[in-house]
Amino acid sequence: MFSYYLKLSFINFKRSPSLYALVLLTLSVGIGLVCANFALISVMSGDPIPEKSDRLIHVSMNTWATETPHEEPLHILRYRDAMHIEKADMVKSTVTFFASGIYVRDSESESLARINASVRATTAGFFDLTNAPFAYGTGFTENTGKVLVIGDELNQQLFGGGNNVGKVLELAGELFTIVGILEPWHLRPLFYHATENMAFNNTDDIFAPLETAIDLNWAVHARSSASDSVRTLDESRDKNYFYLQSWVELHKASDRKFLQQYLDNYSQSLKDAGEHPLDIRNELHDVNEWLLKQEVVDERVLAFSIATGLFLVVCIFNASSLLLSRFHAAKFEVGLRRAVGASKSQILTQGLIESSLLGVVASVVAIGLSGLFLIFSTEMLPNLANLAVLNGETLIAGVILSIVTANLASLYSIYRANRYTISAELK
Amino acid sequence: MNIKALIKSLFLRKFSTGLLLLQLALTLGLIINSTILALDTKAKLEKDTGMPLDEMLVVVSSSTSGAFKELSYAASIAEEDLAKIEQIPGVIAAATSVQLPIQTGGWNGNVNDVDDQDAVLRDRYLKFVAKFHSNEKLAQIFDLDLAEGRYLTEADRTPLFSEEEMNIVITESLKNALYPSESAIGKLTNAGRIVGVVKDFVINPGLADDKQYAVFTNMPVTLAEFVQHYIIRVEPSQLNQVKAQIRDVILGVQPERDIFGLFSMREHMDSFYANDQGLVSLFIGLCILMVVITAISSYAYAQFHITQQTKLIGIRRALGATKKDIVMYVLTENWLVYALGCLIGIGATIGFNVMLSQYIELSKPDFVLAAMGVGILFVASTLATWLPAKKTSNIPPVIATKTV
Repeated sequence: MFSYYLKLSFINFKRSPSLYALVLLTLSVGIGLVCANFALISVMSGDPIPEKSDRLIHVSMNTWATETPHEEPLHILRYRDAMHIEKADMVKSTVTFFASGIYVRDSESESLARINASVRATTAGFFDLTNAPFAYGTGFTENTGKVLVIGDELNQQLFGGGNNVGKVLELAGELFTIVGILEPWHLRPLFYHATENMAFNNTDDIFAPLETAIDLNWAVHARSSASDSVRTLDESRDKNYFYLQSWVELHKASDRKFLQQYLDNYSQSLKDAGEHPLDIRNELHDVNEWLLKQEVVDERVLAFSIATGLFLVVCIFNASSLLLSRFHAAKFEVGLRRAVGASKSQILTQGLIESSLLGVVASVVAIGLSGLFLIFSTEMLPNLANLAVLNGETLIAGVILSIVTANLASLYSIYRANRYTISAELK
Repeated sequence: MNIKALIKSLFLRKFSTGLLLLQLALTLGLIINSTILALDTKAKLEKDTGMPLDEMLVVVSSSTSGAFKELSYAASIAEEDLAKIEQIPGVIAAATSVQLPIQTGGWNGNVNDVDDQDAVLRDRYLKFVAKFHSNEKLAQIFDLDLAEGRYLTEADRTPLFSEEEMNIVITESLKNALYPSESAIGKLTNAGRIVGVVKDFVINPGLADDKQYAVFTNMPVTLAEFVQHYIIRVEPSQLNQVKAQIRDVILGVQPERDIFGLFSMREHMDSFYANDQGLVSLFIGLCILMVVITAISSYAYAQFHITQQTKLIGIRRALGATKKDIVMYVLTENWLVYALGCLIGIGATIGFNVMLSQYIELSKPDFVLAAMGVGILFVASTLATWLPAKKTSNIPPVIATKTV
């Protein structure tokens, strides 16, 4: 029966191809636009590290040394506050880092040309905490020393890929040995640095030990704030210079209260020593809470998604009225089929199969179009350049949406078809 | 023309009429709000910044070798760069700067009178005063107008990290925030002693016009760990010619530099608003699609006259209606639907405006824009109805006699 209905549907399509093509196009354009937007939002609001996002905690503290803080609490920390977090013993691991950048070249290369590389100057806990995927070698284990982990892209740029552990790079006149190379690593959003509009940057090119970077006065490429005068980074360790971000991995999500207590005790001890003029206000956020707080989802895309949603509604209305006119033209046929014994439910099934088939075809066209729309949107909104990804979630949503909208659009004509009495059309 | 009969005939097809009404309303809402967005963005881009945007060239570079860590070396290279740049024909003046105007964030800090430390508690913007560490030529490059006192001169040059008191110039809005009722000249702030006040210009477009706080010093910063900006004022229409030579001139002084930005201040302003402009393009694209879809619907709706009302119209023709009458009949029906659609559309426009305002800045709809939206829809739907109306009028009167 099913295949007979399919055949009937094809015959119907063939009978008025331009009308069905128009319906198909209308629905596909609407669905394609919605899907492209959905893809952007789903990537932007995705959980980049689902296996432990509830156990990874970002720490904000309120340790500004004067009574005029920039904001309370600050997401960037002083060296000594961050080091106190590193010492916490109720947690699985911790990481403290700042974003930097440097020009790099292979020390054995003939050419003096250097590549601009983004740097994460970090404590050794980074790789374990973020589940960084290693292709070769391992992370470093000390926060000092002239060693590096490099990302896949830089490995390609410098050496054309392959295992280059042990090779030596020159960074602003200093020699560093590669100890680890990562696989291609996409984090969307870049949860570990979701602030300063960096949430959709690529993962870093170079990961270097924190203390080494401080000693070498590498630039801080993200927000820094100070209430003391600090000339160079190496003199910042005991100054009120705020530039480090800290993350903590808990053994279990419910350990958060112990961490909170630990930090509050620390703030209290500062207060008792007269170094803490502000209220004690240490805030903890897990990955998803942190991304939400940083509002990483682009507001322009949200605004545009309202518009595309309404557009889809208009497309459904349009398809619906087109299909209704098609129905009026085919009234006689329905009456005839009823007269020769087709039951109402059979007419209904046939109508639904026809519209579902329309939906399936529309979904194919729509997914193609959504790819185009996605490229166009990221072209128009340059800050979303890294986000043009049609993920599985979007593809499935696209197919479901297509079938649902196609059925919605034909609903009224199917309903009308079912209300016809057998005799009315055969007179 | 019998309006009553028309309305009655519309009621016969309440489902498809309802659909078309909603489509018209939503389309109108989208067109008006997209236009508002486009006009808002255009206004931002055309806002007078107070600077000669087309006569300012910006070079952004980083040093790539460790040699620049030596402060005096970096400073001497920068001096040599500027001297060489100023020798290029068409260049009026060049200066280093730690940052550019027309940006958010950047190099800033709190500024207050030394005797009024609490000023920052009264006005939080005083915590984020933009610092333009540059040289004495910056006023000429930015084309700043003096409001009071004098601009910085070569004699005001202060070495980086000097503990000495330094002379500074501030913007008028900062002066008004710090010294609302007296002259600022000679006053001592935590950033230095004020020798001049310049008229406001756009430093951070995200802030109100009276919050464009800035301090200018004659203390060039050439730290290797920071990106180096050279801002160059050129003769009118000499920009491209200077731009073409600049890379070679700078790399000729010292090759271990990566010049990754070379643009006019106008381009800088455009890229500041690139995402806003992009959103406008997306909305306009959507509007075009929406108008096309609505026109298709209008067409399909009017097409009914052929399939549905053939007999009725035939009778009309037989009873003496001219072809013109029939065309008018179909068009009037369309206009009636369309008038109702616009009425609902005003509601849709306001609703849409409120929804969008949750996410983006958007002005409120006004009458002129509403009239324009109505106009566009009017033309589109009339054109779409014209063809079926013409066809309908060709129904011969003889139809009336054919059918039972």
